Formats: sequence, C-alpha cells, structure tokens
Amino acid sequence: MWHIAKREIYNNLNSLRFALATVLLLGLMLTNAVVHLREHPERVQRYRERVSGHQNHIAAHAESSLYDLAQEGPGNLYKKPSDLRFCAEGGEAFMSDRAQAGYHRWSTDTLKSFWILAYPSATPNRDNVRPDVTKVDWGFIIGYVLSLVALLFTFDSISGERERGTLRLTLSNPIPRHTVLIGKFLGAFISVNIPFILAVLVNLLVISTSSDVHLDAEAWGRLGIIFCVAVLYTCLFLALGMLVSARVQRSAVSLVTLLLVWVVFVVFMPSTLASIAGRSTSSGPTYDFSERSWKLHEELSSDYYSRHYKEPEGSTKRIEIDGAYVTKDAEQQEQLHEERLNRRIAEVHRARAITRISPVTIVQNLIESFAGTGFERHLQFLENVQIYAREFRTFIVDTDNADPESLHIFGVRTGMSQEPVSPEAVPKFEDTLNLSKDFNTAAMELLLLTLFVLVLLSGAYLAFVRVEV
Amino acid sequence: MLMTLIRRELLDNLMTFRFAAAVFITLLLVVANTIVLLKDYEQRLTAYNKAVNESHQELREEKTYSGYAGALIIHRPPNPLSIFNLGLDKQVGNKIEVYHAFIPTMWDAEKHGADNPFLNLFTSIDIVLVFQGVLSLLALIFAYDALAGERERGTLRLVLTHPIQRGYILFAKYISAMLCLLVPLLISLLLSIILLTTSTTMSLRADDFLRIGGIVLTSLLYVSLFYLIGLCISAMTRRTSTALMLCMFVWGVLVLVYPNLILTAVDIVPQPNTQISVYNQIKQMWEEWDRENKRFLRNDAVLGPLSRNGEGWGFRLKGVEYSFAPSEDKPSTLLYFYQTSFYAGKIGAESEPQVPLVQDYYGFYNRETINTVQRTWLVRKPALEAIYIQPANLGRMLLRFSPGGLYDAATEAWAGTDLDGIQDFFSTVQRYRRAVVDYFYDKKIFESRQWFAADKGTADWDALPQFSFHRSDTGINAKRALPDMLLLLTMNVILFTVIMLIFIKSEV
Repeated sequence: MWHIAKREIYNNLNSLRFALATVLLLGLMLTNAVVHLREHPERVQRYRERVSGHQNHIAAHAESSLYDLAQEGPGNLYKKPSDLRFCAEGGEAFMSDRAQAGYHRWSTDTLKSFWILAYPSATPNRDNVRPDVTKVDWGFIIGYVLSLVALLFTFDSISGERERGTLRLTLSNPIPRHTVLIGKFLGAFISVNIPFILAVLVNLLVISTSSDVHLDAEAWGRLGIIFCVAVLYTCLFLALGMLVSARVQRSAVSLVTLLLVWVVFVVFMPSTLASIAGRSTSSGPTYDFSERSWKLHEELSSDYYSRHYKEPEGSTKRIEIDGAYVTKDAEQQEQLHEERLNRRIAEVHRARAITRISPVTIVQNLIESFAGTGFERHLQFLENVQIYAREFRTFIVDTDNADPESLHIFGVRTGMSQEPVSPEAVPKFEDTLNLSKDFNTAAMELLLLTLFVLVLLSGAYLAFVRVEV
Repeated sequence: MLMTLIRRELLDNLMTFRFAAAVFITLLLVVANTIVLLKDYEQRLTAYNKAVNESHQELREEKTYSGYAGALIIHRPPNPLSIFNLGLDKQVGNKIEVYHAFIPTMWDAEKHGADNPFLNLFTSIDIVLVFQGVLSLLALIFAYDALAGERERGTLRLVLTHPIQRGYILFAKYISAMLCLLVPLLISLLLSIILLTTSTTMSLRADDFLRIGGIVLTSLLYVSLFYLIGLCISAMTRRTSTALMLCMFVWGVLVLVYPNLILTAVDIVPQPNTQISVYNQIKQMWEEWDRENKRFLRNDAVLGPLSRNGEGWGFRLKGVEYSFAPSEDKPSTLLYFYQTSFYAGKIGAESEPQVPLVQDYYGFYNRETINTVQRTWLVRKPALEAIYIQPANLGRMLLRFSPGGLYDAATEAWAGTDLDGIQDFFSTVQRYRRAVVDYFYDKKIFESRQWFAADKGTADWDALPQFSFHRSDTGINAKRALPDMLLLLTMNVILFTVIMLIFIKSEV
C-alpha cells in the first residue's frame, strides 16, 4: 500500500498541476495574510476606542444619579472583532457590529422613556457603489480553490491508468483492490495537502511574526480545528474524484463530469438555494413594525392619561402610575424588537438549513463558527448582550433597594434613588467567545460533512471493486 | 472545402458527451435561476407599487405646502433587465425624498424596508453570472483538445497532407465550436425569455429586446474569447492532459481568483480628511445662512426671534398647532441642513396683521435656503465623487483586466444596472426637484399663506409637476457598453492572430 502511495506521490510531485497548485495556493494565502495585517490592527483600535467611549458614557451617567443611569441604559454595546477574521470574513459587513442598549423614543415634560435593547441592522453598500466581490479568506481558498485542486489531482487517478494500461499491470500483482484504492487515495491526499500545508504555514508565519496581531493559545487551537475541517473537506473531493474516475472509461470525460458537478454544487447551488429559501420566507415590512410599535405605545399612553389625572399631584399613587407606565412601555417595546429579531433569525436559519446540501456551504459555516465570525457568532454576541442587559437591570434594582431614601418605584425620577453610583460598581459588558459552544453549534455540520465523505468514499470503493479492467 | 471541414468538426463536437452535458447544465442553471430571479423581481415590483401608492396618499394628507418635507418621496422602480445582470439595482437605495433644502443623490436614498437585512448574507446570482462561470468553462472544455488531441491521435498530420491552408483548419474549428457553444446559450436564453414573457408582472418593451440582443452579443464575444484562450493553450502543448490542466488553472485564475483577489488586495480608501474638511465647509455655509436668517428677524420688530424651544414657535401666532424642524446631519454622506416651520390650523383674527410679515419672512427664508443648497452642492458634488465614485470606478477598472470583468461591465451597461444607469435615475430626481422648486417660485408658494396655514385654501398637490422616469435609450446603453465590447473584440482578434502564428509555425 505504501508502495502505491509513494509511487502516486512521486508521480504527482513532478507534475505541472502540483507546481500550479502550489503557486496558486501560496499566492492566495500570502495575499490573505498581508491584507489581514493591514486591516486588523485598525479594526481592533476602533473597537477599543468605542469600548472606552461606552465606559465613559456609563461613568458620566452613574456619577449623576442612579435614576439617570437606569433611564439612559448602558449605551451601545460593541461586538469584539475576532482575531481569526482572516479565516472567514463571514459576511461581517452585513451584520451590525453593535446592539443599542439605550434607545430613546420619547419624553414628556415630566417623564422620560426608559432604555430598551434594540438591534440596529447594518446597511452595507448603501453608501457604497463598489463592485461586490467575495473576500479572499481561508473559507474562499479552501471552499473553492482547494476543492478544485483536489478534483484536478484525482480525475485521472483510475481512468488515466486504465487508458495507459498500467491499471491492468498493477492489478495483475497479488494485491487486493482496496489496498490499491487506499494507496491511491493516500497518495493523492498527501500530494494535495503538501501545497496546502505549505501555504497555510506561510500564511500563519506572516501573521504571527507581525507585532500588531497577537494569537493566543485558544486561537491556535481553533486554527487547528479549521485545518482539520479543511482536510476533511479535501477528502470529500478526492473521494468524489476517484468515484467518477472509476466509473468512467476516459479521463477527459471524467474531468468534464467532475467540473460540471463542481460548478453546480460549489459555485451555483449555494446562492440559488439561498435565494429560493430567502424569497419564500420574507418577513413583514418594517413600516408594519413601526406602526405596531406606535399603536402599542398609543394604547398604553391613552390608558395612562385617563388614570394619571385622577390622582392628586405629588402623591405616591401618581408616581406609581407614572412608573408603571414607563416600565411597561419599555417592556412592550423591547419585546417587539426581540420578536422581530427572532423572526429574522428564524428565516436565516431556515435558509441556511436548505443551503447545507452544498458541501462548500457546510465547510464555510464550519470555518466561520470556529473563526468566531459569521452568523452563529452574531447570535452569540446577541445572547451576550441580552445576558448583560439582565445583569445591568438587576444591578439597578439591587442598588436602588440598598438606598433607604428611595421609594423603589422604577421609571420616575422622584421614585428612585438620587444617589450617584460608583462607575466601578456598574457591571461591564464583555463580549466573549466560547469554544465549546462553537463546537456544539458546529457539531451537526461536522457530522454532515463526515457523512458526505463516508458516502463518497464507500461509493468510490464499490465502483473500483466492481470495475472491469 | 471549408464547409466540409466545418461539417466534420461540427459533427465531431455535437456527438460528444460534453456537448450534452453543456446543454443540460446551462439549461438547468439558467432556468432555475430565472424562476428565482423572476420571483424576486415581482416581489420588488410589488413593494415598489405599494410604496408609490403610500407616498401618494401621504402627500395628499398634508394640508400646507411646507408639509411636503418628508412626504414627497420618489421611488426607484426595479429594472426588469436586472434579471440578466443585477448590477447595482438592489445595492443602491430606492426611496428618495425630494425637498428644496438638499440636492438628492444616490447616497441620500434609502431602501424599501421590506426585507430581512440578514438575508444579505447569501450572495445573489443573475443570468450573466451563470454564463460567466459556466460558458467560459464549457468553452475551455471544447477547446483544450482541438489541436492537441488531433496531434496526439495523428489525425492532424492526415488533414495537413491535403492541400488546405492551415488557417482554414483553424477557422473551421473555431466556427464549428462557436456554433456548438451557441446552442446552449441561445436555448437557455430563449427559455428564460419565454418564462419572462409569460409572467404577468414583467413587461418587456421592444427596446428591452434590443438590449437583450446586446447582452447576447457580448456573451458571444466572451465565450469566443475563452474558446480562443483554450485553443491557444491547445496549440502550444503537445499533450491533451497538459492542455486540460492548464485550461482549468487559467479558468480558475481568471474567473474565480483574480476578481476576488485583486479587490481584496488593493485597498482603495479615499482620504478621510477630504470628507471631514468638506463636511465642515458645508456646515459653515449653513451657519452663515443661520446668521443671515437671524439678522433678518432682528431687523423685523414685529416678528422677533424664532426661538427653538417653547413659546417662540410660530412667532406667537394664534392658532399654531405644531411645529417641525426637519434636519439632517450625516457626515458620511456630507449631508447637513436644518429647517424650521410650523403648522397653523386656523390663525386667530388678532394675529391676522402679522401674517403678511410671516409670509414675507418665509419667502426670504426659503430663497436663502435654496441659494445655500446651490452653494453647498458646488463642494458636495465633487467631494462625493472623490469619496465614492472614484474608488468604485478604480475597482471596476482593475476588474476589467480579466475577461469576466469586461463581460460583466458590458452587460451591466446594456441592462442599465451599471453606475451610469443608476445615476440616470438620480439625475432625473435632481431635475424633478428643480422643477418643483421652480413651480413653487412661479406660483409664489414659498411666500404664500398656504405654506404654513391651512385656513384659507389648502395645498393643491395635483398641480405639482409629476415625476416620471424612463430608462435611457438603447443607443445610450450601446454607447456605454461599446468600449468594453471593443476591448473584448480586440482581445479576440489578437488571440486569434497569435494562435494562427503558433499553429502555422508548429511542426506536426
């Protein structure tokens, strides 16, 4: 078996395709690294500035009074840029990098609306008339280029030998067929991975030697997982190449078939399926949303005004009614925003489920989730934000309870503690990434990818065993 | 003799597996995508019609002329040819406000808020993109063994023993392969056009068919270029497998890698300083306007200052119901202005002597505003171009180094979804704004009572000039597409000559 593998490797190493693949992959990975080094420090810098701005915002209100802090809210919360952005761009441009935790809607002469958690949507390209292209990240290099290279390495592995007549020669030796197949597979596997590993090493070398970008132990672990996913993905295309090569008499036909399959499944399938899925599940227009939000508020306020004037000015009862109005309004509106967000997320989930037929989507999703970019990461960020919002509110309630002078009526200045709060005591928002959580979300896709590989490998095996020479 | 050669080649090609596969794949992809794109177009059209109706009604609800701020909204209809090449049709905003205090540009436009912004995560596709990927691949698959294969099999030597010029052989091969490639192209286009015409919402006019013809012609040039690239490789190599391998790598680089790589690598960022300085300049102009405005009010003893909070609204006219101050401050698009106005349902009799003075003031105020807008436009327009248009054009320029970029640019121009086509719409909107302002000047609406009060006659919105937008003539589309098409043609001719030279000098 090793003999066959070795023969295959030598054969491949001397070939034109090996040289071309190496040059292509090296060039792409090098560009990727250089671009990352150019863009990433800026991104991190911007994030830091925003976070410090956010902390100043909290401090200013905390020092004023607890009511101010409770009314204003913590302000904009920002998504932490991933250090592994070079692995997958993940459509970050289409997702907002912040959540608004201090969204103002109305104020009257005595009352001010409380903050709610809102989810602004990024409006990419609105100010942008540039041509629309895919960024060259690892996802692109692995998903498109590496899969094409894998096909080019295997399309003639069996049909080519059959054409030249050497297959008959090999099989005349007392070697079982599956050994021949595994040997061939290993040979192709190693010769595809040599240029890939080389390119990855160059890429990581350039990135890690730069002083601007720092990769920690977890990042290296994630890179390792991404590499394994890439290798698994190559296996899929190697198996596909061998399957077709075994079934077909001539290598030209084999390549034509493979290329067409590749074009359909890799290039066109994801976007076509996504458009179908996206179109069929379109959420209601936003003006319906704003109308609903306005109506809810109107109903609540008309109810409020009818009760408000019945109580004498300055009485605790009146303050209670005021407070109930403000808090109820914030609650309702926040729920409305959350409902819309959840509906949108559900749509994307449906669309993503359909696009999983295409292996390239699976692998790109996997790379995204391990690189800490993309949609799943955005969901994690939103979850972090929601947890933080709860934490912040609990903090406000606890601090208010600790003040004996307060009436403990939320929503109104006179009903709440007037004491300033120490800015250090206010909980801080920290956007974190959790590897085990990433693993959980990716598990399904990992299994699906493995399943694809196994099916194709056994298909190739069956085809080769039954082949007539 | 040429005919015999062509027939032989044609039969050779037609009977192959790759031909069947080519037809099947192209048909499958084009038809599937046409259905999806058609549905998408219909959805956008419904959203557009709905929005137009809503804006129409919203404007009618305004009783005073000044109420048209934020209510006179123009919508951009989706381009039916965006099915062929989406271009910027979905990317750029399609909802724009017409108001005298700013000149509308595509950066001020917003999108109909109908869709889920997360769905932008999925790339969209159009028919030209399918052709760009699949037809180029097919052309290379048809070409790789045209010469190398014959040489390998030894039939080339046989053919050359006949007294035929080598050029004829090459020409026959080219013609027959192009005929074969035309079959999937035309059949799939025909099917998609049939699908389009059966749709009830889609209405293609006669000149749209001319534009589609232009797209077909460009596709032909593009396919031919890739066939020639394949032929060139085939002429230079001895073995078909080498030729095939080279072809695939060339395809990967030209179609897949180059466009994405070049725009990732070349970072085109405009100077942020110009943006800030121009924005400050515009802000200063408006501050000057504000000073002018205050001076006018100071000199007017009756009116007094128009204070921004509380009582001063509406110059203490009796009957003022509410006031509004539409203002914009968007540094990213260099948009800055502010406005103050109010609405009076019925002006009290005791305030009546004050009304002519207020009317006079608004006449002055609006005139000054429009003059300031003209002044800011002189700096805003070049700045917007430097910040947005120039980098975009540079990016497109870089893409043109690959045939795919040329093809995309030319078909975009034909479909009218390119930057120029979109600009056409916004310049029409700008002209419309001018027409509205002129109408207001003509009818003396700025200094009329109806500008702010609804008691003696309300605004007559039906007399307002109507907005209408027609896509540019086919001639203009052709003119925009021509440079790229010529470039494609030149590349074709050069490659053909190169192949001819290689083939004539090659030994069999």
